[in-house]
Amino acid sequence: MANNPSPHLLAIELHRLRTPAGVLIADLSLNVPGGAVHTVMGPSGSGKSSLLAAVCGTLDAGLNFDGTVVLNGTRIDALPTHQRKVGLLLQDDLLFAHMTVLENLLFAVPSGPQAARRARALQALSEVELQAFADADPATLSGGQRARVALARALLAEPLALMLDEPFSKLDEPLRQRMRELVFGAVAARGIAAILVSHDRADVADVQRLTVLN
Amino acid sequence: MAWRFEGGRPVAAAVLGGAAAVALAWSVAAALVAGFDAREWSQLAAQPQLVPALWLSLITGVCAFGLALAGTAVILAASHHSAGWLRLLRRLPAMLALPHAAFAIGFLLLMAPSGWLVRVGVALLSPFNQWLGMAMDSPPSWQSAQDPWGLGLIAVLTCKEIPFLLWAAVAQLGRADLARKLKMELQVAQSLGYSPRSAWWRVVWPQLLPRLQAPLLAVWVYSMTVVDVALLVGPTTPAPMAVLVWQWLQDPDPERNAMGAAGAWLLTATVGVLALLLPALQGLWRRWAQEKWTRGVAPVHWGVMRTTRSPTPVLPWLLSWIYAAVALALLMGSVMGAWLFPDLWPQGWTIQAWQAVVQSADVVWATLALGASSSVAALLWCVVWLEYAPPLWQQRLQGLWYLPLLLPTVLWTLGLHQATLAWGIDGTATGVWLAHSLCVLPYVLLTLQGPYGDFDPRLRFVSASLGRSQAAYLWYVKWPLLRAPLASATAVGFAVSVAQYVPTLYVGAGRFATVNTEAVALAAGGQRSLMAAFAVLVWTLPAWVFGLAAVAGRARRFRPRQTLQ
Repeated sequence: MANNPSPHLLAIELHRLRTPAGVLIADLSLNVPGGAVHTVMGPSGSGKSSLLAAVCGTLDAGLNFDGTVVLNGTRIDALPTHQRKVGLLLQDDLLFAHMTVLENLLFAVPSGPQAARRARALQALSEVELQAFADADPATLSGGQRARVALARALLAEPLALMLDEPFSKLDEPLRQRMRELVFGAVAARGIAAILVSHDRADVADVQRLTVLN
Repeated sequence: MAWRFEGGRPVAAAVLGGAAAVALAWSVAAALVAGFDAREWSQLAAQPQLVPALWLSLITGVCAFGLALAGTAVILAASHHSAGWLRLLRRLPAMLALPHAAFAIGFLLLMAPSGWLVRVGVALLSPFNQWLGMAMDSPPSWQSAQDPWGLGLIAVLTCKEIPFLLWAAVAQLGRADLARKLKMELQVAQSLGYSPRSAWWRVVWPQLLPRLQAPLLAVWVYSMTVVDVALLVGPTTPAPMAVLVWQWLQDPDPERNAMGAAGAWLLTATVGVLALLLPALQGLWRRWAQEKWTRGVAPVHWGVMRTTRSPTPVLPWLLSWIYAAVALALLMGSVMGAWLFPDLWPQGWTIQAWQAVVQSADVVWATLALGASSSVAALLWCVVWLEYAPPLWQQRLQGLWYLPLLLPTVLWTLGLHQATLAWGIDGTATGVWLAHSLCVLPYVLLTLQGPYGDFDPRLRFVSASLGRSQAAYLWYVKWPLLRAPLASATAVGFAVSVAQYVPTLYVGAGRFATVNTEAVALAAGGQRSLMAAFAVLVWTLPAWVFGLAAVAGRARRFRPRQTLQ
């Protein structure tokens, strides 16, 4: 592991991201400080999701990432996904259908005494105002509630970086605004470096932190 | 979408895949070696039964295959997108749960000259005896079960293969992408003025048929090469080719064994050549139907179309009743006492047959042990393979895993027997377990492949992004979510193991008996109640396991929301 002198929490130096058909992204440098949300926009197929996948370590076998990803001074691009401390929120909430809301959250807190784990999960639920739904079947929640549970679950794993792949795109406008506030607030409060992929200009938190892929 | 998880354990897949590949390839190679000696082929050619037996297999195989396909099409046309669809889906598992041999024994009890059906006929006709000038007080002399034309065999195979083809069709029609597409196309066809049924034959059936290639091939091979069902209800002089080969293979004379090996290859070649014609026949049907349609003529006879239009379609109803009658005949047969002809009911009931079964409890235990061990082994193998084998391996080796399903049992078992001889495990429990596991494997793989392929891979990324390992993901997320298909795959494997006849006897050198081998063996004797009791076990043991699988695979019930408020 090479130490990185970058002051940014998340530093991506991407030389080439190749598909079997050719180069998808070339010569991209992204530096995201803790607490900031960097937005990546661009047309479909421009490699936005692939960029997030490269950071998470979930890149398709047909894609080749040539570059480095440094998180909190540690190079993580060779680490397996579960050791990277990179959280993930996708367009779909992807709550585990066979677990209750609380069990979904407990999955993100694998170690520690049962009571402490439960207390942490309940605290996370109360932060998204869903403590009354702890024992509920996720399928019975509304889209907005499910999105909040997914956020709470992702944050419980205490990620240093958060990859947001169009997490608001399936929500209605009022809900979308609320989720934006929740996500951006959580990112800022916890000092997480976040990359948000979106097609919606309204999602851009800071125009200084915007990359448009062609 | 570029999300994919890097990792996997291809080494485990390579080890297990390699082991199964060696066993299968060795078996096929051994069968190849055993069957290619010029002398045994000339001996085979000199056999007077050869041509009639092969001809009989062809006739029964083609008829059973054709009738099963036609029956499936008519039932689907009558039920799909109608109120009867859900009814059909509910009945299918019960029909599938009745194994071939048990069905054949039930059919035998129904259709035999002294069987229930004839007794019902005699009872119905009795008020007219005086008018007819006859009274039936002894069973008729016709051969209604093991008839020389193979009609009984055709009937049993048709009745058993229709639910299998329906199941395969339901699996295809249940796929979200295809279901959506077909629904829209049906709506378009109806908007162009076609009736729902006419639109179904023109839109759904031509698209469904090519998707049923693999199950149709399996039905074709099975119909031409089945041994146990043919032993129970097939003709005896001559017997179908597969039975003849089986008799030669079991003969103590090595020369006749060698002739059996050549016969197994001849049967395989016949089945294979005719299987190659299947796509050509489908093409012919398509062209012919197209031509008829462009001339505005229905390619399917309007009588069939009318049958499928009736509010209570005849064929699904008839099939359900046949299964119910067969099941009842089995249950009743296992407890019947003396039963004079033409009485409709036995003079008394007895549990003697079941007492005899209890005394042969080791047979039941052997069946359970073989079924459980082989289905669990196949399940573990399939899970490791589907989980860790790279997609290219899965694609390239798929054909190999299906060999036990696609090769005639007599040929495949001959090869496996040679392999177990070479490995020194013939006639041992390990050899029989291996034979059962390899037979079970393609069925378990077939059951699991769809759910595994459809499983949302993003759940793995989410799990890993939460800091959880691959093992935690499999244990807490993937396998619990897949527990229904995992449980049903195990049950399918168990049912397939229970139904194994030729591999159990041949690889086990006759030292191992299961409820299936006992039931078939008893059919040759006079102990009808005992035969029926074992047939009931052939049916109910897998049914119990299917029941357990249904409970184990049941979706979790969450607490109602009201209690949370």
